[in-house]
Amino acid sequence: MRKAYPGLAAAAVAAFAGGASAAELGASGEPIKLAINEWTGQHVTTRVAGEMLKAAGYEVEYVTAGMMNQFQAIADGDIHATLEIWSSNVSDEYAKKVAEGTVVELGDLGLDAKEGIAYPAHVADLCPGLPDWKALKDCAQVFATADTIPLGRLVDYPADWGTPGADRMAGFDLPFKAVPAGSEGALIAELRASSERKSPLLITFWQPHWAMSAYDVKFVDLPVGNEECFNDPAWGVNPDATHDCDFAPSRIFKGGWAGLEEKWPAAYQILTNYQLSVEDQQPMMGAIDVDGGSVEDVVAAWMSQNEDKWRPVVDAATK
Amino acid sequence: MTAAHGRPARAMAAPGVRAALVALLAGALCLALAPRFAWLGQWPDAWTLPLTQWAGTAVTWLLEAIKPLAREFSALMRHPMDWANLALHATPWPITIGVTAALGWYLGGFAMAALGAVGLGFVVASGYWTESMNTLALVAVSVPLALVVGGAIGILANEMPRLKPPVQALLDVMQTVPTFAYLTPLMLLFGFGPVVGLIASAIYAAPPMARNVLLALERVDPEIREAAVMSGATRAQQLFQVEIPSGASQIMVGVNQCLMAALSMVIIAAVIGGFNDIGWEVLLTMRKAQFGQSLLAGLVIVVFAVVIDRYSGTLAGERRRHDRRVVYLLLALSVVLTALFWSSLADAATFHVLTPVAEAVDRSLTAFTIANGATLDAIKNNAMFFGLLPLRIGLDQAVLPFTWGFAWTGTMSWALFAVAAVLCLLLIWRGRPAAGLMAMIAAGMLETGIADLPWPFVLIGTAALGWVAAGWRLALLSLVLLSSILLSGLFGRALMSLYLSGAAVFACALVGGAVGWLAAVSPLAWRLVRPLCDMLQTIPLFVFLIPVLMFFQIGEFSAFLAICAYAVVPMIRYTRHGLVSTPPDLIEAAAASGATDAQIMRDIRVPYAAPTILLGLNQTILYAFAMLVIAALIGTTGLGQSIYLALGQADVGLGVSAGAAMAILALLADRIVQGFAAERRRALGL
Repeated sequence: MRKAYPGLAAAAVAAFAGGASAAELGASGEPIKLAINEWTGQHVTTRVAGEMLKAAGYEVEYVTAGMMNQFQAIADGDIHATLEIWSSNVSDEYAKKVAEGTVVELGDLGLDAKEGIAYPAHVADLCPGLPDWKALKDCAQVFATADTIPLGRLVDYPADWGTPGADRMAGFDLPFKAVPAGSEGALIAELRASSERKSPLLITFWQPHWAMSAYDVKFVDLPVGNEECFNDPAWGVNPDATHDCDFAPSRIFKGGWAGLEEKWPAAYQILTNYQLSVEDQQPMMGAIDVDGGSVEDVVAAWMSQNEDKWRPVVDAATK
Repeated sequence: MTAAHGRPARAMAAPGVRAALVALLAGALCLALAPRFAWLGQWPDAWTLPLTQWAGTAVTWLLEAIKPLAREFSALMRHPMDWANLALHATPWPITIGVTAALGWYLGGFAMAALGAVGLGFVVASGYWTESMNTLALVAVSVPLALVVGGAIGILANEMPRLKPPVQALLDVMQTVPTFAYLTPLMLLFGFGPVVGLIASAIYAAPPMARNVLLALERVDPEIREAAVMSGATRAQQLFQVEIPSGASQIMVGVNQCLMAALSMVIIAAVIGGFNDIGWEVLLTMRKAQFGQSLLAGLVIVVFAVVIDRYSGTLAGERRRHDRRVVYLLLALSVVLTALFWSSLADAATFHVLTPVAEAVDRSLTAFTIANGATLDAIKNNAMFFGLLPLRIGLDQAVLPFTWGFAWTGTMSWALFAVAAVLCLLLIWRGRPAAGLMAMIAAGMLETGIADLPWPFVLIGTAALGWVAAGWRLALLSLVLLSSILLSGLFGRALMSLYLSGAAVFACALVGGAVGWLAAVSPLAWRLVRPLCDMLQTIPLFVFLIPVLMFFQIGEFSAFLAICAYAVVPMIRYTRHGLVSTPPDLIEAAAASGATDAQIMRDIRVPYAAPTILLGLNQTILYAFAMLVIAALIGTTGLGQSIYLALGQADVGLGVSAGAAMAILALLADRIVQGFAAERRRALGL
């Protein structure tokens, strides 16, 4: 498990909490419904926020909701907030609802995400030269399968998350065919099978994710890019194509029902100012997915040990 | 544009021969002209209409119009769900088990009571009690809804024969438009929560009930019918007191299939979320690729399916009376036990007895993958290189030095056609010209590959097939419907879906037919196969995606296997059901006249079962198309993927269009099979 860096996160929380002023609790008798999506990190994020709301004197209800389908429910006020939206795979529905004025953004969560072309550590032996991306030019054959022969195979994100992997292969002119995974479960199954069989695998992946440490996943080093890389073919190592650079950092933010601020002013402030860092979230994910703890217990333990990180946000909104 | 010239000059040519000739001619022309005219091979993008956008606008408008009504219905349905939820959660688990066992005893004696007790005991031990009760509440409301709706549709179609064709079309649409395609519109209509899942599962579960009710009513013995008429019964009396009871065994097949379909849709309810059910647990564990745990959660659904299925099965047959006192004893026992241990009664959610087992299963999966990696790769590569790949892109592209060991040349193409021509002539000489021409067509398709078939050939070929199967109307219908796919620009993806489900249906027909036959002749085989069928049909297939993916990775072969696993079941069930339900007097008569068992099978049982077996094939086709969407989770590139894209982008138009395209393919395949089935029935005088 990774070591936590409490100082850093506390500083971030304090910085946000500083500017806030106290607000009314509002309809504290009615439960605030928070969306529970399909992945553990989100469960941790949501539970911490929910416990903070409870500490402020609210009732909280956790409602399971599909990540892709939740925005209609938020627009209708059936769910009041969802706390971990990834810009890399957010449903277009979100933008529509925000434009419509029924869903509002509640600011960044403060999780620093990284996406990239990745591989389980043992693959470095099969394709010497990794993590340098240039190594992939010569060992595409290693990654070839029946579906992609004679090209190498890159397992890309599910098609509905976009095709960043395919864009990179075209951008760097690498002899790889990107195969969309179809689901996160398929990505994990590929990682798992590859680690267990010590077979070659190149995959588009991201962190924070529990599988990063569980399967010892490494990122391929790609040249750092800027805005021009995505618009101007002339930029970067390949003069003929865009996307010949690393992934743009993905934004992770919070969203809520448009009526949230009016009905529960203090809760709106708490959720807007709420921050959670990778250094805090990742050990909790590990404690749940790798060590088998329950979300409730792991979050409760973290809350009692790290009161200095969340209490100021609650106090700023209520006192 | 096809064989549209009224009476042919050569009156002796059978329709099959003429249709095959037209298709062959169209194919040959396309093959010859494609290099010169690119638009023959691929429908140009410039010729497509913005049909998906129009569909989006129209559907959104319609949805907004009926939204208030739908929300009312949603609020209404919430009540029975809340009651079911409350009843199931408030009851202490020992009492629930006691009641289930008592009901089992009442229905079928010791065997049923034990099944119920052991089944629910398993659920308690799994630690998924709370989630299971949520799921059960959903099924408890959606199945009656589906049974009533399905039964009503079936009766209606029987009472008004003119309604049969549109009803058949409606049933096909309900079963083939993938649930995911209308998930976004349903949510818009009914709001967030379990009611959407309930309605989706009822829509999917009603058609098997309707089909079987209709089949049962059609097959009522005319003598029985006449007896009812002669005794002066009203139409309603005839129906409910004579015809439905006499078709009970077939109707129970429908009830069974309806239950299974509803339970298999539980997972869809979970995708939307809204209540913490067992399907959600499956989704979470699937996302982590934890096979053992997701299997455990999936098996809970199977347990419910098996218990409900066996209990309902006893209603169909003759029932012995079992001692009522045991019922009261079981109920009393569960109440007394609950009261005695009230203070120390553990919360059912805290049991995790089976967690070590789940972990062991997971570990053995790992061990198996490591030990058999090379073998699995070999299986996959062979299936891809020599089966699926040539079928998809044709021999001319699939045969390469690193797949078959040599490159495909023009000479080989000519050789292939020459062999096919010889075969064709041979068959014509043997008096089977249609088969001969089909051999030529098959050779052409093998050379080109299904995904690269020129669109004029697909249109003309399908229309010709439709014409042979059911006449001009079907030919025209297939032309119109396929043209709409062409115009919407989804034709390429449709061919990909056709290729994948076609390959799967072919494999299922062979394997499922053989297994069904085996189960019909050997009761022991049926006892082994039956729980397997129940499991395949009700366990959320997401569970099996994990091992399939770990064995064979993301790709078409994995998708093919996943589709087969689901679609093979109706083929097995219907084949067996058809073979065992041959009237005993027919068999006795044949046996008395000295026929051997093999002769009875070939000349009596198989022909008599043919309509039922074809219904099974029809269901297999529909199931295969339904599974395409789940298979898209593995990463296929057909229409299934479009539907996921639409779901992600909240693109109502694309979702509806892709769903419609899928339904069109399934519907045409279904109609053609049904046409041939009807011809078969006529030929046999059934």
